[in-house]
Parts: sequence; structure tokens; C-alpha cells
Amino acid sequence: MATTQTVHDVVIIGSGAGGGMAAHTLTKLGVKCLMLEAGPMTDFDKDRTLVNVYDLPYRGFGKPGRFPHVTQASEFDANMWADEKQNPYTYAEKEPYYWVRMRLVGGKTMRWGRASWRLSDLEFACKDHDGFGENWPMRLADLAPFYDRVEPMFRVAGRNEGLKQLPDGKLLLDDSADSVSVQRFIASCKKLGVPTTKPRRATGTLASSANLLLPAAIESGNLQLVTNAVVREITVDPDTGRANGVNFLDRRSRRDFHVKARTVILSASTLESTRILLNSTSRQHPNGLGNNSSGVLGRYLLDQFYVKNTVQAVVPEARGGRGERNLMGGGGYIVRFRNVDQRQGNFIRGYTYDFGSGGTPSPRYLPLYGDALFKELEELRNTGFGMTTMGEVLPRHENHVAIDKNVKDAWGIPALHISQKYGDNEHAMAKDAMEMGETMCKGAGFEVIAKHSQMVPPGESIHELGTCRMGTDPKKSVLNGYNQSHDVRNLFVVDGSAFVSGGAQNPTLTLMALSMRASEYLADQMKKGAL
Amino acid sequence: MKRRRILQSLMAMPAAAAAQSVTTPAAPEEFPKLRVASVESGAAGWPTLFSSAQLDALAKLGDTIVPSVAGRPAASQAGVPEFLDFLIGQSSRDVQDLYRQGLDRLSRDGVNEQTLAPLKEAWSYAGPADRFAQFLQRAKIDIIQATTNSHEWADSLGRGRRGSAPTGYYWRSLD
Repeated sequence: MATTQTVHDVVIIGSGAGGGMAAHTLTKLGVKCLMLEAGPMTDFDKDRTLVNVYDLPYRGFGKPGRFPHVTQASEFDANMWADEKQNPYTYAEKEPYYWVRMRLVGGKTMRWGRASWRLSDLEFACKDHDGFGENWPMRLADLAPFYDRVEPMFRVAGRNEGLKQLPDGKLLLDDSADSVSVQRFIASCKKLGVPTTKPRRATGTLASSANLLLPAAIESGNLQLVTNAVVREITVDPDTGRANGVNFLDRRSRRDFHVKARTVILSASTLESTRILLNSTSRQHPNGLGNNSSGVLGRYLLDQFYVKNTVQAVVPEARGGRGERNLMGGGGYIVRFRNVDQRQGNFIRGYTYDFGSGGTPSPRYLPLYGDALFKELEELRNTGFGMTTMGEVLPRHENHVAIDKNVKDAWGIPALHISQKYGDNEHAMAKDAMEMGETMCKGAGFEVIAKHSQMVPPGESIHELGTCRMGTDPKKSVLNGYNQSHDVRNLFVVDGSAFVSGGAQNPTLTLMALSMRASEYLADQMKKGAL
Repeated sequence: MKRRRILQSLMAMPAAAAAQSVTTPAAPEEFPKLRVASVESGAAGWPTLFSSAQLDALAKLGDTIVPSVAGRPAASQAGVPEFLDFLIGQSSRDVQDLYRQGLDRLSRDGVNEQTLAPLKEAWSYAGPADRFAQFLQRAKIDIIQATTNSHEWADSLGRGRRGSAPTGYYWRSLD
């Protein structure tokens, strides 16, 4: 095996939201970092070209079977997503899991939806609130100063509402006028006691780790970014059991490499990080790195369930283009309203929705064909109103990942077996969301043309979280309140795997705030010689 | 620059002299971007999956779901039967069987209001239980997408017109 003499102060695995923020934060504090990214750097001028859909070989359908689990991949951007054959994983036959990955500089921030909500103390202290699960080892007050700094970096735009279940942020104010249909919808929600707000998201479709976090880190001279480095395992000192380096392979040649590290920050994405830890076995850590005290590494996998287009409605006044000019357009967000102040319904926790006004409903909803179908589509042009549910998923011990010894990826690294099922709580919530969504639309005078409560398979929301969770008790958690391994003091995990619970809020903003906080703690500990 | 210099020197020359002079064409300073056509623009796909009876039924179904209206192409004019023969030919065995069995039934019973009645049933997320109805629902969406994403459809609307085929950034294979 190749060796190198250099011992790096910090080796960061992964260049996405978590790794990018760690590099950004540490290099600013003068800490030298080496970053290992499994994929290549992209070049927007060379790697992309503008084409018409009819010039694609599959007319926009994509090559059948190429991405059985990545519904987000289109024929245009298929080459951006991690290849499923090179990166296999397994699940029980009747419990499909959709694992969506992207291996390139910037990680999945190259394609994220940019929605940026803070978690609240309903999540951080969830066990205090309803008795289920575990509290986080922090409260909103601990993380708020970091949210305050991450939001301006990503120029998050939205509107503060002063709600305890959706904390205010340091936002670019979105005070744009709502269309008439959205105003009517908001009024209908208000009557039901349901709070709404503007979408809250990072400004600019290119807002990513690759253009907002990594450039400053590289310019500082303190970051060396290595691409095409597929990590196999984190190595440990046979005497101390502490992390001492990383074994990786060149993605293209499969040549083995080793780097030495004083500290390792793992941020390869929720499930890849846990996979690396489970594959990092040694005499001191026979069940995976950092798993001795708790045995919960790989456990408490959660995500957020989505019900896409749970309600599809039509704004009747907009039919045939007869609506007033500002009738259609825009959208918003319905804030969690269930189980906030008092227990409601036959489930705990809550859900949110994105809603949007405008566009033409899909022909699949219309029981027509031929001339009649195309006439109706013309009549319904720009009349659509849709809602998508995003619900909290409970962290449960039985939802877990483990190494599947029989399957290896294209680099010979053992693959994951993923086991996650939605339970009664999620199903009850999805049903309630469909019924409430219909009530909201009808209250606004919209015509509901389709509704359903079928959740997408676990994983498809790309909000997978947990499996390496934080906590104060080393017997129940893998990481402490600073994303630091209880068992291996010079190992930090700063991606979604650290989450204790998920709420219904898109998780990227929170994981970046956690990564920033952990990185400043790490730099401070290094200065004190505590690592 | 070089090309302009040559043009200027040609213009400066008396016509007779220009006609007599033999010049070696200057090599372009930048590699040219040549306009090229994609495979579907001048050729018809060669069916390999469906029988001729199945293709015939698919053409009839296609033109019933997407007929020619207001100068737009019907499905068969957009090469949809041949395209779906290719697309379904690359799909799973289950999808192939769904199509072949569905087309056999249409071939036998005809494409008419009675056989297409399942397309007038209200939408549900789970979809119909009946396999022939499942075929019709799927074929309807496939036929519409294959038609509206065709060259012929875009040409009928004119470039850049509202509703013309979508354009996007195609990502090349990353190495």
C-alpha cells in the first residue's frame, strides 16, 4: 500500500454541504485541511451543452432501467447522478429504499432545492414535548448563532413570522405580492388556524458548496482538494485506537492510497459516512469505528416522507385564460400546525406542505383522450394549484443500515443493506395531510381534481438522516453535542447522519450550521492541544 | 483576422488576376462548430420488438390519443410507434408484456370507444386493477410525451414558441 510522510492536521471526507462548511470554517481559522472527494470537479463550460429534448436519444424519457431508484434524474442530467451499477446497495424485496447519490465536487448541493428552514425546540427537545425518542444534545439557542451566519452566506430569502415551530432567520426579506389565488388560499388556511409563509430558500440556482464554501477555502491556501478519491475506510492507531488516517482508491485507476491524519472529519453524506464507519473495523473497533459504547451506529435511520401532489386542484376562474392578470402564480409554505400547542389527531409530530399556483395539470389526471383531452388541456392552461406534503418520520431502532458482506461496489468496498419502513404514525399523518389539503383548497374555492396519500418510498425525498446520531449519553449515541465521536476523540461526523430527529424542515441548513459549530469547536480543541 | 486580410487582398486585386491566382486556403484559426443533425431527423427507426399487427394497433391508438389538430402532427406522424418500439424494447420484460398483451387485444377488438373506455375512468394514484386498463393509462402518457417531445411537434409550433419542446443543459459523461 502506498504511504505518504505528510501527516495532515485535518482530513475531510466529502465536499458537499457538511464537508464544504467544515473546510470553509477551519481554513478561515488557519487550520490546514486536506479534502477527499470521491467524484470529479465539473466544468460548466465543458461538461454541459444546451440541447433540445428531441435531440436526446430517448426523447427525454431517459435510458430505461438506468436509474431505477433516482426519480430525480432526467435524460438531461443523468450523468451527474452516481451510477447505480457501480454503487450497488441492497434491501429486502418488499421494502424498497431509494438511495439517491451524487459524486462530484459540491455533492448534492449541485442539485438541491435550496429550501432553508431552521429546526425549532419542538425538534431539539422532542422527547420533552411528546415523550418519544431522544432529545438533541443542544437547543435552538445553542445553534441559533450559527444559523445566523449560515443564512447570509447562502443569501436565504424568505419572511419571518415569529412562530415557535419555525424560528425566524437572518433573511433577505421576500415581501413580494402574492397572486390572488395564493391570497385566497392563505385566507382559507387562516380560517383553519393554519400558518403559512413565503418559501424560504438560498438565492440563486447555483448556490452550492462548490461556489459558496470551497472557493474561499482554497484561496486561503489552507485547503487541498483531492478529487476522485473513493474512501474505503478510516484507519486507527493499533495502540491508541484513535483515527490516524484514511485509505482510499483512485476512482479511475483503482490504485490504493493512504493519507495520515491527526483529525478526521467525515461528511460523505448520511449513509456513505455510516458505511465508511461500519467498514472501518479493527481490533479495537470490531463493530465499526466509534461503535463500542453504544452499538447504535447504523440505527435510527429516518428521513422525511413526501406525498407528491397530494392535492391537485384547479382555480376555476382561471379557466380558458379568463382570469384577472394577477390571479395565478407564486406559491408558499404551510408551517407545521399539528401537535404544536396541544395534542391533535391520531399521530405525534407534524407535517408541512409546499404549495404552488400556476401551470397546467398533467394529462394523467384528466379522464380524456384525443381532441377532448387537448381542448381541456388548453382550457386548463395556467389554472393548476398543487400541494406536496413533507412529513416528519419517527426515528426507530429497527430502521437501520448494515454492511452486506455479499455485495461490493466497483472499487471492491462492501455495500450497504438498507432497511427502512414507514409506520402507523407516518401513514396517519399522510392521510391527515391529504384531507386537510383538500379542505384548504376547497375553502379557497378551488376545484380538487385529484388527491392521494401515497408516500414516496423511503429515501426518495433525499433527506436521509440519522444512523450516527448525537447525544449526551455515550450508551445511546455515537457522537457528542459537537459532532465528535464519544469513543474516538479525533473523529467528527458533520453530515445528516448526526441528526437525532428530523422535523419536517429540509435539513441542509441545519447540517451546515452543525458543521460550522463542530469545526469551530475542533479548531479550539486543536489550539488547546486537546486532540 | 487572417481571413479578412485575404478577402481584402482579393478585393484589391484586379478581377482577372484574382481568377488566375491559385491560393491555398488558410487553415481556420478556431476549430469550426459544424451544424449536425441527430439520428431521428432524417431517418425512420427500424422496429424490432412489436409484430406488424402490434405496430399497426399502436399507430391507431397513438393517432386516437394524439390526433393531428391545428397543424400539429398526430402521434404516427411524429414516429411514435417506431420510437415506442425502441423504448419499450429497452424496458423491463414486465413492461414489454404489458404493451404486447395490450396491443394484441386492441388488434383483436379494434381501437374504438368501447375498447378505450378505461381511459375515461377517474384518476387514482394506485391506478386501475385491470391489466389492459393499466396498459392504456401508461400508453396514453407515453404517447403524449413521445409526440410532444418530437422534432415534428417542435417544428409545427415554430422555434421558441410557447409550448414548444423543452430545452435543457445536457450533462456529458463525467470522467
